[in-house]
Amino acid sequence: MLIFTLRRLNLFIFTIFLLTLLSFSLSFLFPGDQLINISGQVNATPKQLIVLAEQYQTNNNIFQQYFAYISHLFHGDLGISMASQLSISTEIMSFLPATIELTLVALFIAMLFGIPIGFIAAINHRKATDNIILSISMIGYSIPVFWLGLLAILIFSIQLGWLPSAGQLSLLFEIEHVTGIQFIDILLSDSPYKWQAFQDASAHIFLPACVIALAPATIFVRLARTAMMDVLDSQYIRAAKAKGLSFKQIIYHHAIRNAMVHVIRDVGLQFANLVTIAMVTEVIFSWPGIGRWLIESIFQRDHTSIQGGLLVLSSFIFIVHIVIDFIYAALNPLARESRHGT
Amino acid sequence: MNLLDIRNLSIVLKSATNPILAVDRVSLTMKEGEVRGLVGESGSGKSLLAQAIIGVLDDKWQVDADRFHWRGKDLMRLSIDERKAIISKDVAMIFQEPMACLDPTMTIGKQLTEAVDGEQLSGYFWQKNRQRKETAMTLLHKVGIKQHKICLKKYPHQLNDALCQRVMIAMALAKRPILLIADEPTTAMESTNQGQIFRLLASLNQLKNMSILLISHDLENVTHWTNTITVMYSGQFVEAGTTKHIFEQPFHPYTRALVDSSPKSNRGLPAKSRLMALPGSIPILQHLPIGCRLGPRCPRAQQECVIAPKVTNYHGHQFSCHFSLKDSY
Repeated sequence: MLIFTLRRLNLFIFTIFLLTLLSFSLSFLFPGDQLINISGQVNATPKQLIVLAEQYQTNNNIFQQYFAYISHLFHGDLGISMASQLSISTEIMSFLPATIELTLVALFIAMLFGIPIGFIAAINHRKATDNIILSISMIGYSIPVFWLGLLAILIFSIQLGWLPSAGQLSLLFEIEHVTGIQFIDILLSDSPYKWQAFQDASAHIFLPACVIALAPATIFVRLARTAMMDVLDSQYIRAAKAKGLSFKQIIYHHAIRNAMVHVIRDVGLQFANLVTIAMVTEVIFSWPGIGRWLIESIFQRDHTSIQGGLLVLSSFIFIVHIVIDFIYAALNPLARESRHGT
Repeated sequence: MNLLDIRNLSIVLKSATNPILAVDRVSLTMKEGEVRGLVGESGSGKSLLAQAIIGVLDDKWQVDADRFHWRGKDLMRLSIDERKAIISKDVAMIFQEPMACLDPTMTIGKQLTEAVDGEQLSGYFWQKNRQRKETAMTLLHKVGIKQHKICLKKYPHQLNDALCQRVMIAMALAKRPILLIADEPTTAMESTNQGQIFRLLASLNQLKNMSILLISHDLENVTHWTNTITVMYSGQFVEAGTTKHIFEQPFHPYTRALVDSSPKSNRGLPAKSRLMALPGSIPILQHLPIGCRLGPRCPRAQQECVIAPKVTNYHGHQFSCHFSLKDSY
């Protein structure tokens, strides 16, 4: 297990290294001066520019420049935004938690519905249930998310008026910004209307999270269905049947666990997809997340923000990846050991 | 009284266009305490027959039989659930590739305790868990695993094939079965491990009077351990009798060929001469010959062979062939 952890850590360090290399090279590839791209100081006086050049060691060779950039990163300095002239790291810290919250809730919803439905489809293989589930998941997968988001707002917010259409929380509630993750902040706050705020936040997150969750959920349905069918076809299930276990026992004790092993592995891969969908959805639902911020930066040609946002967002995806790998290892004893020759 | 009495069991692979008769009217009887070998080439339907007996074939297959008696009880008259209850109580099965038959994500201990029959335990529910563990331990001792503590904590991939097969046998023993069906229990195993497993099965047969149906493709290997042998070819019944008869005086040309092709009987051959073997190979399920399915490969085949021969009984030695070797001895 220790070796497994060290390997993941190793992978993490190398991936982050490559990401920094990418974002560093972006400052050269973007149009404009490299120093301004990397620092974001658009209105710097020539004097300040000299100081900056000293800081980023632009006059030295490329390796020293890179190490200067890395040391800036380690000090939490991603430069300042070209558009707003605010520190990018503080901007990211204020926007990222909202995205973390939204994507994790969406992932949870997608898994909660997608995986069991896939299992049900596999158990009823070649029956009407299976076909219905498959065709619905196909339809769900092919709906474009921006259209679905608008449709959801139109139906549930405007026509029916059940759920709010934009934002993270109603302006009526005053919640102190501690962690940035709304639900935790609400629970931490000592406002007398804590539970009302909690309900309001739940109502706000429900619609965007569902919109994000739909496409990944349909993928999970298919993954879970294939995994379960493979497992049900396997030798140990036949052996378990011969042991005289009932169908329920076989499903609950053997099949689900083994099928989950296969599904969990792919959940990590789908997470990147989910974050992409979340970025679009954040724009539609005016969710104060990093996706919307990043898209706005792209429109404003804010090169420094794009570099920083890219770095942080991909690190987040990668961390989730690693966490899911650990869950996979917890479920699958085979993965925990270092295998030789592979 | 026969333990198991099956008459004319057929297994059909269902398909919309042309259903395939994979096993064609095979009969099998077993006495109590007997070790019977079921021998045939790969694809001769012997595993299918075993799986049909224990009832783990999925719904692609359709099983019919004229008679299916278990200890004098007619199982054909019972509902599927009742049949399953009786069979799973008294009959256990071990498979080839034991490692694939154990759940890879669960420890041996958990799987073994799961197999322990709750009815055998006495006491209240809070005592049952401990009793289950103790039963699992004694089961491991019975199959010759002494380091039970280590073994119970292991996952299947951490044990070797022979140990996995021992664990499978321990699981099978948990229900105290009367009949154990061993479906090629030692394929892909080293010969020392093979010997261990066979000796274990033999001792279980002698000490606990457990009947064993030993399925194998290797006639010579099986003869050491069995009292009687049934030979199948391409889903058809070939010959059944005591091991001695089958090995020394086979009546059916196919059994004759099997016996002749074994290395032991080829020992006297001069160097670089051809080994005895039937020409050709077993037909695939989509292109089965009519009548006796051995026909195209049989050295004694004649025109009558397009009609499947009836089973003939000669002093308890059954065979199905129009032109048997009975008179040649």
